[in-house]
Amino acid sequence: MTTTPDTPAIHTRGLTKHYDEVEALVDLDLEVRRGEVFGFLGPNGAGKTTTIRTLLDLIRPTSGTATILGLDTHADAVEIRRHIGYLPSDLSLYPTLTGRDTITYFANLRGGVEWSHVEELATRFGADLDRKVGELSSGNRQKVGLIQAFMNRPGLIIMDEPSNGLDPLVQQEFQDLMRETAATGAAVFLSSHTLSEVQRAADRVGIIRDGHLVDVEGVHDLRSKAIRRIELVFDAPVGGDEFAAVDGVRDVEVRDRSVLLNFDGHMEELLAAATGHHHLVDITSEEADLEEIFLAYYRDADRPDGAPGGARPDDARRGVGA
Amino acid sequence: MLASIFTKSLRDRWVGEVVGAASIALLLVFTMAIYADIDTSFYYELPAAVLDAVGINPDLGGLSGIAYGSIYNLMGALVVAGIAISIGASSVAGEERDGTLGVLLGNPRSRTDVLAAKVGAMVLLTVLGTAVLWAGGELAPVVLGVDASGVRVGALAVHLGANAVFWGMVATAIGAWTGNRTAASGGAAAAMVGSYLAATLLPLFPAAAGVAQVAPWYWFSGSTPEANGIHVGHLALLVGGAVVLGVVAWVGVNRRDLRDQQGRVTFLDRLRTHPLTQRYADRVAGSTRVSSITAKATSDQQGLLVIVAGILFMLSLYYGPIYNLLPPAFTEALAGFPDTLMAMIGQADMSTAAGWLQAELFSLTIPIGMVTVLASVGAKSLAGEEAARTMEVLLANPVARRHVLLAKAGALVVYAVVLGVATFVGVTIGVLVGGLGVPVANLAAATALGTLLGLGLGAVAFVVGAATGRSRPAIVAATGVAVLSYFAWSFLPLSPSLAGWANLSPFDWYLGGDPLAASMPWGDAALLVGLTVVLVAVAIPLFERRDLRG
Repeated sequence: MTTTPDTPAIHTRGLTKHYDEVEALVDLDLEVRRGEVFGFLGPNGAGKTTTIRTLLDLIRPTSGTATILGLDTHADAVEIRRHIGYLPSDLSLYPTLTGRDTITYFANLRGGVEWSHVEELATRFGADLDRKVGELSSGNRQKVGLIQAFMNRPGLIIMDEPSNGLDPLVQQEFQDLMRETAATGAAVFLSSHTLSEVQRAADRVGIIRDGHLVDVEGVHDLRSKAIRRIELVFDAPVGGDEFAAVDGVRDVEVRDRSVLLNFDGHMEELLAAATGHHHLVDITSEEADLEEIFLAYYRDADRPDGAPGGARPDDARRGVGA
Repeated sequence: MLASIFTKSLRDRWVGEVVGAASIALLLVFTMAIYADIDTSFYYELPAAVLDAVGINPDLGGLSGIAYGSIYNLMGALVVAGIAISIGASSVAGEERDGTLGVLLGNPRSRTDVLAAKVGAMVLLTVLGTAVLWAGGELAPVVLGVDASGVRVGALAVHLGANAVFWGMVATAIGAWTGNRTAASGGAAAAMVGSYLAATLLPLFPAAAGVAQVAPWYWFSGSTPEANGIHVGHLALLVGGAVVLGVVAWVGVNRRDLRDQQGRVTFLDRLRTHPLTQRYADRVAGSTRVSSITAKATSDQQGLLVIVAGILFMLSLYYGPIYNLLPPAFTEALAGFPDTLMAMIGQADMSTAAGWLQAELFSLTIPIGMVTVLASVGAKSLAGEEAARTMEVLLANPVARRHVLLAKAGALVVYAVVLGVATFVGVTIGVLVGGLGVPVANLAAATALGTLLGLGLGAVAFVVGAATGRSRPAIVAATGVAVLSYFAWSFLPLSPSLAGWANLSPFDWYLGGDPLAASMPWGDAALLVGLTVVLVAVAIPLFERRDLRG
């Protein structure tokens, strides 16, 4: 292997995939470093799975190249698979095999794995390996998929929507495992449409929409500009105008004694406005969903020939996009 | 057509029903056309047991007795009832297996509503299939100008339809009680075949003749409705039985817990959980089965393999001894058959034992058995994993696509060898028991060539599946090539100017060298091996270069 610790875990250059007329993936330039959890975030149909299937040589790019651990994804496909783990989205396994048979099958194809590690993973996830996969719920089937992805201590793990069907306790265990894996120097490529999942686990986040990589940034930056949906409740009816004037407030709506608004500014400014002349009784704040963030920040960023979107608050900080 | 559960069930099934019934009607026309020109009296010299077993009715006699008897009385009845069983088994249990019953019952429909809609669709479809058969049966003699007076096609159709509904309800009732589609279709089919055998064979033994009358199949054919018209009592028994089964199904589906989508529990699974057999069964079903891609692929369709290998074994065994039971008139009459008919049954000289085996066993039965398994296995080898979306996770392991392809091709060879060995053992025992005097070496040569032919046709399915990732076109392609090459081999020689083209047919490589009578045609064997090797070699770049489905 030509790999050194500095070689990126994943490196794509101009990766493009067209299906007939549809541009599923356009000019993807992406670098995932070793030792990081990289979140790959985008709504359904954005091109996440197309990217992953191209990286795994299941489908072939229309143009562009990609390397995994310094190896070419097409020419060295088999060698690459020796060093990676993969969990497809909406996992399908052989329904008539038990979990243990399934793991044994894949272990045999790998020329053997450490069974103690498999048992350890099974215990951590609480997986029942003696039942047939066809009889398992989707969450329990997903555990078998996670075990086979982690069992060979891979240098890179690629996972497509891995949390599907997992209960919160197992999700927590899974998040911990991802962090531990990254700490050993391996890379985790986590594709998801759930902002909160990516925020919890990832170091950096790539955002993809309509086949275009819109942005790559640190998860802290993403969080800082995440829009929040805020409801302020007062002891008496108030007007909306004074809140609309606060920097970062939009979509103000007044309902009797409460004010609903979307907010991405500094919280103390909003609180100052709310507590200055009124009696604030209650405040709730929740994360806006991913689509709202996309609409607010990346409305036009995915147009390759379009002008940068006016809705984007700070274009200067963004290196990618138009 | 999606207005209700009833209409959706009709939409899902009507094509199959019409195609099935129309094929039988066409077969009737063909049979009548072929037999119209020949003296058929030799048929009626066959033992009563043989006539009964193939549905031929001596009461009608002549051409009509053979045509309506063998085509409608046996094949038509089995096909229409078989389709009814398939629909009945799917009605409740099929939706449970697919995991769609839950979402169906999420709508404001009771279990009784669902059952009633499904049963209604099954009955209406059976009426439709029966009507097609009826129309075909009335039209065939008119079109061909054959005299079929005295044949009561309507009465036969009514009995046939009632019989089909009865067996469809048996499957519905079993499915409603167990939620197991395999048990429903298997149980009903087994009961139907058992009933058919009881109705046709028991009357041969005077002591047991009375017992035959309680077999439902006897209520269909025992009164020979095609000669005697509708038998009200028997018809009432069939309809009444269907109603009783409907009530049984209604009780069953309403009283039990519905199953969610579930994996199948096979016989081997039961052995794996039993403490006495656990160790041994585990080796076969568990660790050995998943030791390699080839081993796993070999076990994937073990059910189909065991059933077809068993059938091939039984039939191969059966045709040897039966040769001695044929009356002399039968073989003499065959000598006078027109060329076209001889071509259809494989151009064999039936006056010799080797010719008999070729005509009855090697020309059609063995290739059909081989193609049934090997085209299905070949088609599903690669395309099946893509359709099931397991190819992705399989290829996440460090195995090249080429390696997966060759491992699957290896499994295809294993399937072919198992079928070949079962056939060879059966036919060898049959020939030795019957004292037919065909050398074992010739049996081995013919079986080996048949196996290679099946392998070649399986390889056709394999290459199409590898190129497209879809198993349906793969099966269609293999079946199409099989049928075309059969007709090329059997019919082209009838025309002197086209005879040379028959040499291009894989069937000609199989039987053209007369392996049962002459010696092993090594050149033909090499051609068949070459066909498979070339097809698999072609499959490699086709599979390696394309995008996999997922």
